[in-house]
Amino acid sequence: MQPKTGKTTCPYCGVGCGVLLTNSFTNSGKISPVSGDVEHPANFGRLCVKGSNLSDTLTSDGRLSVPKLHGNTVTWSIAIDAISEKIKQVIDEHGPDSFAFYLSGQILTEDYYVANKFAKGFIGTANVDTNSRLCMASAVVGYKRAFGSDTVPCNYEDLETCDLLIMVGSNAAWTHPVLYQRIVAAKEQRPNMKVVVIDPRRTATCDIADLHLAITPGTDAFIFSMLLVESEQNGVLDKSFIESNTDGFLNALMSAQKASPSIEATANILGVAKEDLGTLVDWWLATKKTVSFYSQGVNQSSSGVDKCNAIINCHLATGRIGHEGMGPFSITGQPNAMGGREVGGLANQLAAHMDFATPGAIDLVQRFWNAPKMATENGLKAVDMFQAMEQGKIKVIWIMSTNPMVSLPDTAQVKRALEKCEMVIVSDCQEFTDTSLMADVLLPATGWSEKDGTVTNSERRISRQRGILPPYAESKHDWWAISKVAQKMGFESSFSYSHPYEIFNEHAALSEFENHGKRDFDIGLLKDLTEESYNGLLPIQWPVTASSPNGTQRMFVDGRFFTPNQKAKFIPIEPKLPEASATEKYPFVLNTGRVRDQWHTMTRTGKSSKLANHTEEPYVDLHPKDADKLSIKDKELVRIMSKVGEIVVPAKVEAQSVSVREGEVFVPIHWTNQIANNAIVSSLVPQIVDPLSGQPESKHAIVNVTPIKSVLYGTILSAEPIDTTDFLYSCQITQDKGFRYEVAFNENLNIHHYRKTTVATFDIKQQGYWSDYKNTINGDQRFVYLVDGSPMAMFYVSTRPLNFDSSWLGSLLSNLNKTEAIVPIKLEEEDRIALSVGYKANTLDKGKIICSCFHVGEKQIQLALESGINNVTDLGTSLKCGTNCGSCIPELKQIIELSSEAVV
Amino acid sequence: MSTQSVKERVVVVGAGMAGSRFAAELLLNNPDRWHVTLIGEEKEVGYNRIMLSSLLAKEVARDELSLIDVDHFRSHQGEVIAHDAVQYIDANEKHVHLSSGISLPFDKLVIATGSRSSQLNIYGNDASNIIGFRDMEDVSVMESLSQGSQAVVIGGGLLGLEAAVGLVKRGHKVTVLHRSSYLLNRQLDEESAALLLERLQAMGVEFRLSVSPESFNSLSVSANEVDSTDKAHSISLSSGEVIAADLFVVATGITPEINIAKEAGLSVNRAILVNEFLETSHKDIFAIGECTEFSCNTFGLVEPIWGQMKSLLAYFENRFEPFSIEPVPTKLKVSGVHLFSVGKIQSENNEGVIQYIDRSLNHYRKLIVKEGKLVGAILYGNVADGSWYFQLIQNQTNVSGMLDRLIFGESYCIEKVA
Repeated sequence: MQPKTGKTTCPYCGVGCGVLLTNSFTNSGKISPVSGDVEHPANFGRLCVKGSNLSDTLTSDGRLSVPKLHGNTVTWSIAIDAISEKIKQVIDEHGPDSFAFYLSGQILTEDYYVANKFAKGFIGTANVDTNSRLCMASAVVGYKRAFGSDTVPCNYEDLETCDLLIMVGSNAAWTHPVLYQRIVAAKEQRPNMKVVVIDPRRTATCDIADLHLAITPGTDAFIFSMLLVESEQNGVLDKSFIESNTDGFLNALMSAQKASPSIEATANILGVAKEDLGTLVDWWLATKKTVSFYSQGVNQSSSGVDKCNAIINCHLATGRIGHEGMGPFSITGQPNAMGGREVGGLANQLAAHMDFATPGAIDLVQRFWNAPKMATENGLKAVDMFQAMEQGKIKVIWIMSTNPMVSLPDTAQVKRALEKCEMVIVSDCQEFTDTSLMADVLLPATGWSEKDGTVTNSERRISRQRGILPPYAESKHDWWAISKVAQKMGFESSFSYSHPYEIFNEHAALSEFENHGKRDFDIGLLKDLTEESYNGLLPIQWPVTASSPNGTQRMFVDGRFFTPNQKAKFIPIEPKLPEASATEKYPFVLNTGRVRDQWHTMTRTGKSSKLANHTEEPYVDLHPKDADKLSIKDKELVRIMSKVGEIVVPAKVEAQSVSVREGEVFVPIHWTNQIANNAIVSSLVPQIVDPLSGQPESKHAIVNVTPIKSVLYGTILSAEPIDTTDFLYSCQITQDKGFRYEVAFNENLNIHHYRKTTVATFDIKQQGYWSDYKNTINGDQRFVYLVDGSPMAMFYVSTRPLNFDSSWLGSLLSNLNKTEAIVPIKLEEEDRIALSVGYKANTLDKGKIICSCFHVGEKQIQLALESGINNVTDLGTSLKCGTNCGSCIPELKQIIELSSEAVV
Repeated sequence: MSTQSVKERVVVVGAGMAGSRFAAELLLNNPDRWHVTLIGEEKEVGYNRIMLSSLLAKEVARDELSLIDVDHFRSHQGEVIAHDAVQYIDANEKHVHLSSGISLPFDKLVIATGSRSSQLNIYGNDASNIIGFRDMEDVSVMESLSQGSQAVVIGGGLLGLEAAVGLVKRGHKVTVLHRSSYLLNRQLDEESAALLLERLQAMGVEFRLSVSPESFNSLSVSANEVDSTDKAHSISLSSGEVIAADLFVVATGITPEINIAKEAGLSVNRAILVNEFLETSHKDIFAIGECTEFSCNTFGLVEPIWGQMKSLLAYFENRFEPFSIEPVPTKLKVSGVHLFSVGKIQSENNEGVIQYIDRSLNHYRKLIVKEGKLVGAILYGNVADGSWYFQLIQNQTNVSGMLDRLIFGESYCIEKVA
């Protein structure tokens, strides 16, 4: 096949960057690296480190190749028969609501549309929810309460053209890196542009902050109540806008005055200096062009909707909406959370931005779909859905492209629910995920690069994801699988799709159907695309209508909203603190979030060794004073417990760059049981949700933290994957060659027995030899297993957390279980001792890798700084670090800052 | 040559390594001052006894063994009397009397009579085919064995193992008897000894460990011809086993040769007592080498003996370089076997142990560290770092900053250049 380069859209965060992918292979048999699409308006060619390494994730490792029914390989037709019969049976016996879809912001709009149509129009249940519930459900409700529609008013250019950017609950530097880079570039060009970061943690995003307010977790709404009060007191209200374009201002103002009567009172609640808060107020009052940029830190809260409306209130009151460089801007976390919202793929939506409560909507949609059995009321939101499942109310669930065993709060509950469910159907690319292990039916899904359809990014821009590579093995598109089941159930004519453009056209037609400007979401102009024009569709921002044929850059330009009277609504807000506050038994507040180079549950990013470099292991970030009180040192193992679960992870205690407040801890969300033992942070989070949005309070749980003493720490490198379930702690770190595990264990595990039984499982016929190193002074032990002069397994054990660069050792391993023939590396005899040292004598230890793109380590950077380099640009010239994706620049700056402080 | 008046007369008794080299260096450093006479009971004078193992193993020729240039010594009026033993010393009259009847006066006397192979105190130990492994004569006996003979070496120490390997290389079948449960138990620990055992077995040497010899067996006089009566034909072991052999090499240790010193009235204990200037209890009589005892130590390795020699040479030149005991590394002179041991070999409670073994290469290292200082090292297989460890021990270097790398050798412990 002729290599062809196709334009597609990145499958990670909600920025929705354009990516160029070529179906050609490198010499080592991998897909050639991707590049950024310079013509895509989201990124103009930039890619973050995750995006840059997309091709690493396009491997067959662990891919699910065939359908499986109760663990046995079956044909698609058998799997579809089994699913459709079971759905028929349970809805006959228990009604339509015994079935549920649990979807994902990773699937495409077309997949979403077919699932939503099938459930809400043909099975008759609104039990269609999605992992988007976990990331932006509060933002949706906030917009809908204020605007009468789920409408993101802003676009990315507003971030570049604003004069004040307030980032609330967002670590965009890591979670939306390309957007963050655009902001950085804009601020460099216009140094007067101010950036305020509101976040309990000091994150990488604070790198460009002119002001960082490290607030008490969950107090965000007090800030915006205060800004509303101050706006009124200082005369920056847009009175005519309030008068003619909004309702409910006075009530909102009164609530705000009650919540945040003064800067001083507010500062006390927030736990920040009133001078700092005063600075924010001054800038807010003085800056018309203000964007409030918010994300999961606002949304994942038991009062997330209120927080959103507190923000929106301020923008409505000052008329800072609908114009360039201003507005309340919710940034979504997933590539197609927005697309899911558009089709109505949430339990409290019907379709195409219509709700069940929207007058006439059920009838309208019924007629459009010619649906035999319409759902008539809201279905169960994610957490409710799994609770109902545990109660036996949901008998069949179809989970697509998401991993609720890792991402939903209270993992133990999710497990109980799935165990109770009669048929768990899981469509996924990977065979082994924490959730697929619970499945009765496993369906191999096409993945990014194979899937074909559309996604919508955070600025309402619809872009094509294109199928550039052929589907892997027997994997199928999700819309195809759903359609087949629907057909089998007797709905042939309504699900006779043969290409995603047909689905897209129907979706577009529904958005326009009897709309007449009543609904914000209208892409009617795209309802008659040919396959060719669909394939060539350029990125475009909805609405796309006759009056805006090239899409719509910014919403509410005319000051009219989608409420019945076309006026925006102020919502009176009584700020609430998170449900749980620290107690004697659970004295710490747990915060959760992403790390820079991993995505969700690592089913894709986990395949890239480069992406493993930045943060190799799960961790709990502790304030040095708390760590001191608990006698916990950096990298030592700790146990974290809440009322609902416990995890065991290494501590991160960084005296020089403290990122969490005292009494607070942070644990990243990515590590699953497939990669680590006992590191799923969701297992600590109780199922507390926002009553309006159903979004869990995943960024706030109360926990206790205890050190785990008397353990041994180990690094294991192996040519074959090994079983580490017996370790107290274990984490697999992806390598180019072989397998690496960081482990910890206590006296219950006999490492000598373990290492010997482990290598006995290797598929090697020749006799192997051990080399052993033991040091009674520091407790170090190292065991290397050699076959024919090549290392097959290396066990490094220490009484202290290990901290060494094992990349050289890893490079010596051969991949026994990979198909590519890698010639084992034979070491010179004099170098064999190096296997027990970890490096060859007189070689450079790079230190912790900072720049993943060019594999530049901290020690190299330190040397460069010692040689006189003192800025990021020169570091880039000298070492290339930070010159590709730029994601490491905040860290480079921090290193420069720390080293210059050291000199002073 | 004018008034070649009064050179001081120095007589050196014993032309082994210590005596001959001392004699040569003393004379050649200052030929005008000294008249040196070197007396040896062996026919050969001044050869390197250490190389007997190599000679036996046919790795060197006989003439490569010489330690001093006898002709050069003689050309400086050095006097050599070989194959003539000292009968007695008259300390008061300052004369030595030789077997041949010669009587020599001395101003200064240096006793370097060395040591002899220890005798086995068991029945039959006087048989003619029981030898030590000590001198050229012993090597000659072994060389004259007919191809494919059986030999038993008693003692699995350094000398015994070298003899065993030499005999195996000459095509003989050799069994080594060793009293301890592992070889070289004074130089190695069990792990390294096991590797050595494996290696020597691979070379063809057989071993009996944890056994002691009980008796040598000769044919009874009544039942046999006269010509073989003085030879043992087998050895009985404590295990009950009887091993037949043509030759028995006893290498269970050495006994300092102190008879003439004792008779001369010098103070002796296990050997001739000397102080840090190698003075004996008698004025103008000195002793060096394996026949000496200094601060409760006797000597069997060459390094401290060279140290004694240097101290004594200095003393004769009126300089004071007192002799002191320093740890001495052990090496086994068997080609293909690399082994190094210095200082302590077993750790005590308060000492740390660092061990490394590579079974694919049969490399082994063990270090013993006490209070931040290296006090013992055993290397087997790759001994390149031996001298560095030896240096660390000698210099009492504080190694606490490199304990995590120490075992991996010097190249991992020197400052890393980034």
